[in-house]
Amino acid sequence: MMPIAGSVALNLAFGFAILSFFVLSFYLRTKSVVYYHVGRRLAISVSVLSIIATVILLNELLISNFDIDYVAHYTSLETPFIYKITAVWAGQAGSLLFWLFILSLYSIVAIVQNAKKLQQMMPWVILVLVFVQLFFLTMTNFITNPFEPTTANFVVANGNGLNPLLQNATMAIHPPMLYLGYIGFTIPFAFAIAALILGDSSSLWIRTIRRWTLVSWLFLSAGVILGGWWAYEELGWGGYWAWDPVENASFMPWLTSTAFIHSIMIQEKKNMLKIWNMILIILTFTLVIFGTFMTRSGIMSSVHAFAESSLGPLFLGFVFLILVGSTALVLYRRSTFKADRRMESFSSRESGFLFNNVIFIVICFTVFWGTIFPVLSEAVRGTKITVGPPFFNQINIPIGLLLLLLTGVGPLLAWRRTSKAGFLKNFTIPILLAVVGGLVIWTFGLKGYVLIAGVLIIFVTAAIIEEFARGISARMRRFEESILIAFTRMVRKNRSRYGGYIVHMGIVFIFVGFTGKAFDLEKEVGLHVGESDHIGKYNFELKNIRDSERPNHFAWISDVRITDRDGKFITNLHPEKRVYFHRHPNPDRRQPHSELDIYSTINQDIYSVFTGVDSEQGIAYLKIMINPLVWWVWFGGWVLVAGTLIALWPRKEA
Amino acid sequence: MQSRNKFVVTISGIILLVFVWIYWVSTNSDTENPTMMAYLTIDEIVASESQARVKMGGIIQAGSIVIDKSDQLKATFVIEQDESSLEVSYYGSRPDLFKDGIEVIVEGSLKGNIFVADIVQTKCASRYEGDLREETADAGNAL
Repeated sequence: MMPIAGSVALNLAFGFAILSFFVLSFYLRTKSVVYYHVGRRLAISVSVLSIIATVILLNELLISNFDIDYVAHYTSLETPFIYKITAVWAGQAGSLLFWLFILSLYSIVAIVQNAKKLQQMMPWVILVLVFVQLFFLTMTNFITNPFEPTTANFVVANGNGLNPLLQNATMAIHPPMLYLGYIGFTIPFAFAIAALILGDSSSLWIRTIRRWTLVSWLFLSAGVILGGWWAYEELGWGGYWAWDPVENASFMPWLTSTAFIHSIMIQEKKNMLKIWNMILIILTFTLVIFGTFMTRSGIMSSVHAFAESSLGPLFLGFVFLILVGSTALVLYRRSTFKADRRMESFSSRESGFLFNNVIFIVICFTVFWGTIFPVLSEAVRGTKITVGPPFFNQINIPIGLLLLLLTGVGPLLAWRRTSKAGFLKNFTIPILLAVVGGLVIWTFGLKGYVLIAGVLIIFVTAAIIEEFARGISARMRRFEESILIAFTRMVRKNRSRYGGYIVHMGIVFIFVGFTGKAFDLEKEVGLHVGESDHIGKYNFELKNIRDSERPNHFAWISDVRITDRDGKFITNLHPEKRVYFHRHPNPDRRQPHSELDIYSTINQDIYSVFTGVDSEQGIAYLKIMINPLVWWVWFGGWVLVAGTLIALWPRKEA
Repeated sequence: MQSRNKFVVTISGIILLVFVWIYWVSTNSDTENPTMMAYLTIDEIVASESQARVKMGGIIQAGSIVIDKSDQLKATFVIEQDESSLEVSYYGSRPDLFKDGIEVIVEGSLKGNIFVADIVQTKCASRYEGDLREETADAGNAL
């Protein structure tokens, strides 16, 4: 009964979406307010119905109704409660419904929030939102319906269950984070399109969407970082970023939206770069849809691969439609959105922002190129050329370092142009510190990119601290405040500025972590109980192999004792080799899984994987890695989140 | 120079530089750690007789996995693609899903008539979109 209700909710939402689209169009022709109110309510009901459908799917997953194909695919009776919830987005049909669900939540908020504001713009905004919903409703209604009954011609007693790799707390929150980020950009996109259609070149709407953009950016950043963290903690190859197509799909809109966040500041402050901002948000949204397409269509071979499906052409058609439609609008309105004034000098902060934008777009292009090159080469030349991480790393390390440099330089530049005196005042200390620090790093025998990265990290850190110190000391002198009070009041007075600097600091920390990658060590070895080996300046000894029978798996556990060269005890690591479904009568269905163990400090991680066991002879096959500075990546991530929250925190309305 | 032109020229210069840079990185990679790699079929690899580093994918032939008794990191197995097959030798820890009948992608080069791989990845599409009929058939039998 309930699954039918779910299907009906989706059908109704589809019908209402079409109706809403036409009624709103009619309003825009006739300007008769009645139609607007009807269209608006219809749009809200589309969202409400989509949310109801999602809740019904969730309910079916929780009660394990295996008559539904989707439920039988992604859950089993043994699946723990929390992973029955995450199963909502574990598969294709569900994840598309989940897309719709989040878009619907956002739509309702956006529509209600702006009910009294931006009267002119809202009909168009709602129209765009409904149009995007219509696309996903088409998918979930006609292509992959999550409420499809099972095709099995017998009673399905139990389902497949969720892949153990996905049974991890991080994995429970990583996809929704990414979705919240991804989909959030639909709102600024809708406003941008509305502004284009109306030829509204004021920056009023920019103020409305600034918060939306920051929230989406925050979720997207957190989602990307969590994904890396999950890969590092769970997959056992010792890295957090592999330039996999799906990772790239989340990284590209991150790059363009980061550029957007920077350049809307120029529009707010200087009324410049208006067309450019339009292009950036259109690009971001297009990349979001393209990214969803890449992960869902299976045209890219990827560790995230989903089965190939008929979604491809529809998605590509949608991407094409967005691009052509928006480009036409931008071209049509380009004269209306001319900037009020022009860039004056390279040494202006405006130009700093502009070059920051150029670099973000350049990185995005290199990532895009590397991601689609295999598909292109196969289509054009018939042979498939794969593009590996070395391509992305070699290309983007120098560009990334340039970006890091700008992170430090930009905030020190003055608006319009930086005078010589201003330059000396702002740059002397950071440059001096960077040079001294560089010499110190150099005496440790480090060179090349590591040396440059070190110098830049010091430079940017010094520049940011200088900004804070200057603000604090000015307040201390003027208001005779203590250092802490001056600090909090200063940040509170200009949250977006200082929040932004804290985000920059987070990025610097993340770069510190990246630098550590240059010193990774790895050793694979088979050890008898009692034997030991060494890696870098550490010894590791296999003390024991234990086994343990647990509710949903069987585990062998290696007890590994790590000491340094002098024999001083560092830590004990207990990587596990697990077998899920270990009681399954068919041995092929039993699924081995390596549960790794990491000893993490701010200097380095000692990373251990139990890759294989020879229980008869008492041999454990271990992979031990030393990964310096990885801790800083996660720490930087937290700082970034904290900084964004500070920038976002609502100001008390006076 | 007019201020507008100054920016246009600089940005065009940067973009041009990036294109050159992408081209350079794509064409000048070292053979040990190439930026781009051909993904070939078994027939193409055998026919080329080249020892260049390539990628190849296929199904692990049932019963072909031989793991060295004294060093379990050492393994040989046979990869099948329709009618063709090729023996692969690999040293290192194997992915958790490595077993008969699974689709793998290997990276390495042909030495004689054995493909020596140093990277083995299992393709895991099936994990996400399992074949329900097969699954339920198992479950049905177990009942």
